[in-house]
Amino acid sequence: MRSKKTLLAVGFFLLFSVMSLVGSEANTPPTPEVKITPELKEKFPMKPHHEKLAFKCTDCHEGQGDDPENFKAIDDKGCLSCHKTKQFLADRLKFMDALHTNPHNSIHDGTKLYCDECHFEHKKSDNMCLSCHSNDVKLWMRPTP
Amino acid sequence: MIKKLFLIIKNNLLLTLLVGVLIGLLSSWVLYEGLHRTSDDRFCIVCHEMKPMVAAYHNDVHGGNGKTGIKVTCVTCHLPHDNVFAYIATKARNGVVEGAIHFFGNADAIDWQANRANRAHFVEDKACAQCHTNYKTNEAISEKGHKMHEHYASLKGTDKEINCASCHAEVGHKGLRSMLNYYKPEYEYYKGKLDKKKDEAEKKLAEEMK
Amino acid sequence: MSKETMSRRDALKMGALGTVGMAMLSASNAMAAAPTEKDVKFDEEYDVIVIGTGFAGLAAAAKAAERGYKVLILEKMGRVGGNSVINGGGMAVPNSSWQKKYGIQDSGELFIADCLKAGLGINHVELLETIVKRAQDALDFSIKCGAKWQDVKPAWFGGHSAPRSLVTDNMSGSGVIKPMHEFVEKLPGCKIMTRTKMDDFVMSSDGTSVVGVTARINYRFDPKLLSDDMENKTGEKKVYKAKKGVVLASGGFSMDKIYRKLQDPRLVEDMDATNHDGATAGALLKAFQIGAFPVHIDWIQQGPWASPDERGFGVAPLLTQQGLFKLGVAVDVRNGKRFMNEMADRKTRADAEYVILREAPKAYPVAIGTYNTFEEQVYPIMEKGLSGGVMKKFDTLDALAANYKIPADALKETIKKYNEDAKNGTEDQFKKQSLKDVKGKEAIEMKGPFYAIRLVPKPHHTMGGLQINTKAQVISANTNKPIPGLYAAGEVTGGTHGASRLGTVAVTDCLTFGMIAGENI
Repeated sequence: MRSKKTLLAVGFFLLFSVMSLVGSEANTPPTPEVKITPELKEKFPMKPHHEKLAFKCTDCHEGQGDDPENFKAIDDKGCLSCHKTKQFLADRLKFMDALHTNPHNSIHDGTKLYCDECHFEHKKSDNMCLSCHSNDVKLWMRPTP
Repeated sequence: MIKKLFLIIKNNLLLTLLVGVLIGLLSSWVLYEGLHRTSDDRFCIVCHEMKPMVAAYHNDVHGGNGKTGIKVTCVTCHLPHDNVFAYIATKARNGVVEGAIHFFGNADAIDWQANRANRAHFVEDKACAQCHTNYKTNEAISEKGHKMHEHYASLKGTDKEINCASCHAEVGHKGLRSMLNYYKPEYEYYKGKLDKKKDEAEKKLAEEMK
Repeated sequence: MSKETMSRRDALKMGALGTVGMAMLSASNAMAAAPTEKDVKFDEEYDVIVIGTGFAGLAAAAKAAERGYKVLILEKMGRVGGNSVINGGGMAVPNSSWQKKYGIQDSGELFIADCLKAGLGINHVELLETIVKRAQDALDFSIKCGAKWQDVKPAWFGGHSAPRSLVTDNMSGSGVIKPMHEFVEKLPGCKIMTRTKMDDFVMSSDGTSVVGVTARINYRFDPKLLSDDMENKTGEKKVYKAKKGVVLASGGFSMDKIYRKLQDPRLVEDMDATNHDGATAGALLKAFQIGAFPVHIDWIQQGPWASPDERGFGVAPLLTQQGLFKLGVAVDVRNGKRFMNEMADRKTRADAEYVILREAPKAYPVAIGTYNTFEEQVYPIMEKGLSGGVMKKFDTLDALAANYKIPADALKETIKKYNEDAKNGTEDQFKKQSLKDVKGKEAIEMKGPFYAIRLVPKPHHTMGGLQINTKAQVISANTNKPIPGLYAAGEVTGGTHGASRLGTVAVTDCLTFGMIAGENI
């Protein structure tokens, strides 16, 4: 130690470092815990492809509290936070474009449909194409996941 | 006999050394070339059933279709690299098994779409982590992406463990499902109607493999 | 009495006023009168509000926005375009630049004459004259918005005296809607809100003008309800101001199970239509409630070429119109006999089918033909009809008769007589014109195989609706003058098509009057 001044400066520096470290940890809010009971699983079943990834309710229902009865549908923004963009989803079924049977890029709506026109998480999904193409859909694609 | 050999060596130590080094270098080079030439798309595509995979790989960032043009070889992701023995042993075993299927079995009857469900088996997480070391800290990843990586980390070692490929389904082979459909449509309706697309893909592949 | 608690007198006053208020409120709900601007508080303000995102709605919105207005477009469904994105994309334009390019002679008078013939002479001719004058402008406007029309000779559709129908490059109305939708979204001040249902008009304080609409956002249409307009309570209420006015472009009501049955009791509730599920009368009825004149309401065009074995328009119309109807026959399954001229106009045939269905609701008549009865361009669709199950193939007439429970001998007799008439050139009992083409040959080749499709009439287009003048202004039944602030265009209006609409003229009507509404608002 050269002088008292140096000691003081070092001390303040250390103090601020510690404060910033501690402060940064305290910034993220804790995710609410939802107790997953068998009754809950029966009332709100998850699709197999999401079940495989061991998701919790709050992985999709972010910022909606901890009571599943109060959860709301997560809308396109929620789905696309993982499933990227509607164009990306249309490209995944590119082989259907050749015959214009791509549900994510139809001749009627392009890539502009709401996800939940067809896809539901906690009940059986629908297929909007069926509202007119009642006989063809089963030939063009598999049941909506 | 052995005594005679021992004497020859003892008297020509330098020569023996030189010959030894030469044999070592030669065999190393042969081994290297052998391993190297059986590691990339040019080799894998020798078996025609790999065509859709290679075609899709060429459309992927990992196959050179990115901004930087960086390309990783097939074995980088599909063979273990923790140690040389594991690498060579797996490579050899695969070669024998896959070769047998190709020559003596019916490679065209393989249901590749069903195999995609086993993708985690074909690409171990260690392979991804080799390059993608910063997947926990990379700021270019979205907030949701970070949350999901934390989720992945939390399940590691548990019975619910998931893999990189569990979510990143077509990584390495962009548009694999569609490409496989051009060769063998999943649904009856498309049979015979996607041949033009298959021809386009084969033409592009031929260009790329020149 | 202390200051904190209310005086008894005050409490009584409050109670009395409250009760009266509640009574008035429930009374007003029962009467369902449109609110006035005094009763509401506007959430947002716009210059123009358009109801509906079909050809008419988007044309009106695009034109109004082009003029610099701030436009709000409300669409109750999740998808944009309604019927306009599921049709064949054909637009009849008399005296078009296309006709000039391909050397086709046409005239406005000829077009009007054609429409009057199909419309049984009751069309509102001033509206047809407006179309003749402005259809080319509407076509050009659609192209400006990005629509692409095939550069081929215009098609010749039934009932027209000259080929005048252009077709979009993707053979769908979406070829116009998609680019127009993007065009409108890019314009500053324009906003499209889907899943937003217009509930009612907001009137001026004196009740004469339209100054806005009440609506519900986050609305979710429910096709399972008998009347979505009356029963669906989803969504959160909003009120929007329209400083210049509202354009009603909410389409027809072929799928309004209550309202269409009132006009034609043969349209029972479980009957399908060629339209999308959202084609209901809700907004139309609200306009009547504020005094708009109804015109031609009970003229509902029904297609006799549809099949109960598929939803909507399907493939049956092509296979019957360009196949089984032309040279084949349609028989009553109960007696194996013909019951109509298979090539007469839509109404005649639909009425004939109804005669059977009124007596026996499930005894759908069957159209029968053989391979030679199909036109060449329909061959690719035959496969679709067969694989989808709408059309069936049989090796013998006996097998066909057994399948549909038609008396086999009677059926064979019918076809024998039919073929004889055709061969000899004698006129058949229904005076079918197309039989003349088969003189000397077999109309239905007896070697088979035989193709069959079940038939049912399906409502297709509602010709009637709101009375508008040539400026697309809605006319009031109270004053016989335009209702200030209210415009309408498209299938929600009435008069243009008279009793029966010609094919491909709907798109023209919608785009032209939509554009005119946007110009005049």
